[in-house]
Amino acid sequence: MDKSKQPLPLAGLKVIEVAQGVAGPHCGRMLGAFGADVIKIEPPSGDWSRHIGPFLGEDQNIESSAIYQYNNSGKKSVVLDLLVSKNISTLTDIVSEADVLIEDWDIPTRLLNGIEKDRFTKSDSSLIEISLTPFGLSGPYSHFTSTPIIQLALGGYLYLTGLPGKEPLMLPGHQPDYLTGLNGNGAVQIALWERDQTGAGQFVEVAMMETLTTLHQFTMEMETYEGFIRNRNGNLWQRESGFANYGITTIECRDGHVCFGISTEDQWERLCLMIGKGEFLKDSKYATRSARRSQATYLDSLLKEWVGERTRNDVMVEASEIWGLPTAPVLGISEVLEDEQFLHRGLFLEINHPITNKAYFPTFPFKTSGMVPDLSRSPLLGEHTSEVVGW
Amino acid sequence: MVSTKTINTLGSLTGLRVLDLTRVWAGPLATRIYGDFGAEIIKISDPRVPLVSPNGLNSKLNRNKKNIGLRLDKPEGRNIFLELTAISDVIIENFRPRVMRNLNVTYETLAKINPHIIMCSMPGFGLEGPYSEYPAFGTTAEALAGIPGLIGYDSSLPISTGMAYGDPVSGLNAVGIILTALRHRNITGTGQLIDIALAASPVCNLGEFFAANSSNGFKPAINGNKSEYYSPHGAYRTKGEDRWIAISITGERSWKTFTSLVDDPILNSLDYCVLENRKKDEILIDSRISEWVAVQKAEEVMFQLQNNGIAAGVVSNNRQLLSDPHLNEREFFVDLEEPLFGLKQYDGQSIRGNFTNKSRWKTTEDVGESSKEVLMELLGYTINDCETLEKTGIVLFKNNA
Repeated sequence: MDKSKQPLPLAGLKVIEVAQGVAGPHCGRMLGAFGADVIKIEPPSGDWSRHIGPFLGEDQNIESSAIYQYNNSGKKSVVLDLLVSKNISTLTDIVSEADVLIEDWDIPTRLLNGIEKDRFTKSDSSLIEISLTPFGLSGPYSHFTSTPIIQLALGGYLYLTGLPGKEPLMLPGHQPDYLTGLNGNGAVQIALWERDQTGAGQFVEVAMMETLTTLHQFTMEMETYEGFIRNRNGNLWQRESGFANYGITTIECRDGHVCFGISTEDQWERLCLMIGKGEFLKDSKYATRSARRSQATYLDSLLKEWVGERTRNDVMVEASEIWGLPTAPVLGISEVLEDEQFLHRGLFLEINHPITNKAYFPTFPFKTSGMVPDLSRSPLLGEHTSEVVGW
Repeated sequence: MVSTKTINTLGSLTGLRVLDLTRVWAGPLATRIYGDFGAEIIKISDPRVPLVSPNGLNSKLNRNKKNIGLRLDKPEGRNIFLELTAISDVIIENFRPRVMRNLNVTYETLAKINPHIIMCSMPGFGLEGPYSEYPAFGTTAEALAGIPGLIGYDSSLPISTGMAYGDPVSGLNAVGIILTALRHRNITGTGQLIDIALAASPVCNLGEFFAANSSNGFKPAINGNKSEYYSPHGAYRTKGEDRWIAISITGERSWKTFTSLVDDPILNSLDYCVLENRKKDEILIDSRISEWVAVQKAEEVMFQLQNNGIAAGVVSNNRQLLSDPHLNEREFFVDLEEPLFGLKQYDGQSIRGNFTNKSRWKTTEDVGESSKEVLMELLGYTINDCETLEKTGIVLFKNNA
């Protein structure tokens, strides 16, 4: 049977999204793409992401935000000012018909709007409510305000990126929010699995700071098992640590930079052979990981020499195909859009928008053999208000 | 209204059985989340490679899983895997594509044995395409996705995240899409194959960059922590060794409050209430802020600014994160007794739903600790069968009594 004709697995589910920015909307986007009917409630000025760039097309306006368009694909937009108290009861009516409520009401917002934590779930035992906030609804930071750099700082990510001794650097864009959106989608799916079996809904809290804390690469174990502080180390990863090896590094080549991810003993051996230094394999100076680390500057210079004569593509093909070494070019944004592997996967989809016309958006990092996700344009502000609330 | 519907006392995913062939980070992260929520995770390990190590590398991600040591490359071992396939809901693996082909356990083969199975493969670049057979690592995956190209003090040197960012993003994607496919199976009766590319995962966390670039050629400036929309914006060195505070001024009101707290004659200039003017003099403004925070403790600055509604946060390292007052008051961490290493503190479950009670969480099993239970209770093997399999080295049995 043609899989595009099969109903998507979340068809028939109604999702109300009262969340702005990236985390909640990114979660809602995934639910919508797999069949759910997602109704997005926006304040009169629109989701705040409508006001920040980058923008699409030539004009900066509330319909041209790239963050908004990407994360709100296929939703219905309803404008409802929740600071007007009667609108809370309109929202209650809308939520009463919903299966899932995604919201981002932190403690200050809940106080401002008078929305207590169990307002919706106490009267509807089958409702799944997903709360996505920076710090959660309890604890000493629960009244804190934040932006991505603050999340990265408190979540232990910021400290790890950048050169030793220099200012720690943030990850690009809105990474804590995207990670929380993905985690929120996991939370919805887990709760749906349970509801499909028992009929019971639930209130599930997902905090950005805790999301980040669970997504560390053995960072905490370096302290709890080995007793040292994990540092940022530029492109050289964590050379001081027992976890590290020589060869996780980024090096300049003829047309940019390439990244190496040499992490096992046999990869180290093949790296030596590749750069014509097979004699290192018998040399005690390179016998152990820590010995290699102490020779890192010299090893870097040898690798630089080998890499320097080649282009990024030459390095990747030669190192990967002949030597079986994990390498990749460091790509710029426009290069990612044209990368052969990503094109082969159909990673980007052209979507047309009435104001900003065509643009390419990432679809999903996964391909599925039995489902065709439904991604369409994001709504204009309030485009569906009258359809949904009858105004 | 009194609810008549109740949730599962043993966790949301009670009854879900997952065969876990994953290694390192992305895959084990996904199955750890399922395990925390009560799914039965059967982790299949190579009997020749120990899982539990003195650096805790694997212990963080393999709690709440049963482990069996099984030689998939031997016909008898492969048969056991096929028998497990027949009674499971999900298979998840993150080898290079040719490994599963060489073992003759691709989706096509497994779906014949169990058409309801959801199989999730998580190779570096995907199961097909020009790079599909290339080896990958979290750091190289993020490079291809454009991440280090967007990090740097300036545009001359791209900088990696320092933490193999492709992995956690892929792991979280797996958690959601496998359950979506299970719902699809429950409705249609058929399983399917999911192919997640490690390198494609960070791309989908940068959607706005690609959309804007494709629309109008947008290219962000590479300029440390500077932001086009917020200023000041960055990390500033405070008192203490390598201690920093991140500060993010999001608008005019937050700037005015900030300057009233700092009370610096230069920052008090009315011109700076306008974002463009602050951006113009960003270096000067940053140097005044650096001077102000240099003599203070990061935590004190954070609470002072946050209590006045300004976005600020200490730049925590691993040690500070483990003792963070907020996470500890929320009882986020969990202490697990490791047979070889004593009590160890781990990150808990960030999805605060119906996960199994932390008091019942099990530490990471070493290879083969559940071999006997899985073979005898799930597959009906006898003790004699087990002894034969042990003698021939097909299955490793480790006594965990």
